[in-house]
Amino acid sequence: MSLPQSLRTSVTPPELELIASQQLIEIIPLIAIEKTAFISGAFGPLQPPRKAQIPLWMAINLKLKKKCHIVAPEWLSVEFLQSRLDEEINEPGFSKLPFRYAEVSKLLLDVQVTFAPDDIQSTDKIRYLLKDLREARQAKSREGLDQINRGELSLSNLCSMEINEIRPFFVHAMGILTHLHRDASAEDQP
Amino acid sequence: MSRSSVSAMDWEAQFKADTSTSIRSGKNGKSRTGALALDSDNEDQDITMASASESNSARARPVSVAPELYIQEDESPLSQLTKHWMNERHAPDILPAQEELLASLLDHIRRQSDAVQLLRGEPSASEEEHIRIMLVQMEVERVKFIVRSYVRTRLFKIEKFARFIMTDATIQTRITTAERAHASRHAHLTDRHFHNSVLQSLPETQSHLDDTPIFMPPMITKPDESRPVFVHALRDCPPIRFHEDLTLEMKHGHISLMPFSFIEQLLLRGYVELI
Repeated sequence: MSLPQSLRTSVTPPELELIASQQLIEIIPLIAIEKTAFISGAFGPLQPPRKAQIPLWMAINLKLKKKCHIVAPEWLSVEFLQSRLDEEINEPGFSKLPFRYAEVSKLLLDVQVTFAPDDIQSTDKIRYLLKDLREARQAKSREGLDQINRGELSLSNLCSMEINEIRPFFVHAMGILTHLHRDASAEDQP
Repeated sequence: MSRSSVSAMDWEAQFKADTSTSIRSGKNGKSRTGALALDSDNEDQDITMASASESNSARARPVSVAPELYIQEDESPLSQLTKHWMNERHAPDILPAQEELLASLLDHIRRQSDAVQLLRGEPSASEEEHIRIMLVQMEVERVKFIVRSYVRTRLFKIEKFARFIMTDATIQTRITTAERAHASRHAHLTDRHFHNSVLQSLPETQSHLDDTPIFMPPMITKPDESRPVFVHALRDCPPIRFHEDLTLEMKHGHISLMPFSFIEQLLLRGYVELI
């Protein structure tokens, strides 16, 4: 009742995007705004053409109103993603990616495609690379399923959206294994 | 481009360094992304509250002793609430209520809304004013969403474990007085409802709600401490012992999946968070 069934066991992607868009990002403002006190801190003043750091949700909003240009984060480039993809394919284990790369890249690429496609170069290639990365990592996490036991499972470098994807099944599986072991050890002891 | 060859670890550290030089006058002088950038170099910001000897003995310490809380220096109230919100969503048990944090944030929301009302009353023609008002309102809506979701999650768990709360003293320390009153009313209402609709017509031996039949889960729903959760270590943690041949010592930034009971203590002390 208080919490809908869909929210009881996992987090929804829009909620993950909400958390991800609290991160700071660099922009080039096109309009001057004074220093303003927000709940998360004071931001500004925005003085074009000086760069400024504001939260991602603010940057996207301003971009939609054509009041700023977003400076793409370093990792959202063809070279970086290509090198990570090569690492992903050639080496076991997950390559190191920003923790919320899926959410941030979705938010930034969506705002690029619909409005002013000038800030991020070659969005198509980047989308393609992100999709490949996602599939490669998904394949690896499926292999990790073998290692579930009743103790713990270490997953280094896994990212927020991927964890959310595998959460229902992994949680359920490990829970059942824990119960089985507990019942088995309870039977052993007379 | 030489910058593209910089590893992900370095870009996060540089991101943090850039933000710390930006113009900000918030109460927390340092960069806020330090709290959100999980793999950045936080050593210089760690509060060394726990010495090595304390951390070794802390694991065995019972809950009744007030635990040393680890809070990263630069965490704003909003990012703290976001962390508690996510912890509450993933944990199978009810976590301690963050009354002061909620109260201060609600207060802040009210002040911001009042300020917006004031500004809207004046005829401000400049576009800049409109944008500022709109951004402040957007942020207020975002914070209200997080607050609401946090409270709803707690409410759901309290209603689910209402009868267990009435019987268990340790869990009562973690909920507010209003929540406790709600739990007791909820438990009584459901008991009366069951009694009036079904139980009074059953034979005496079966008309109670607290017997434990075999092969079935007990009628009082307890929190399931063994449910696995994904944890992320915010700092180097003392070793955790699973069973006779498995211990795990988590370094800063380690992500792992394990039953909730093993990291409950570390979570209460703020060493880890649930993701």
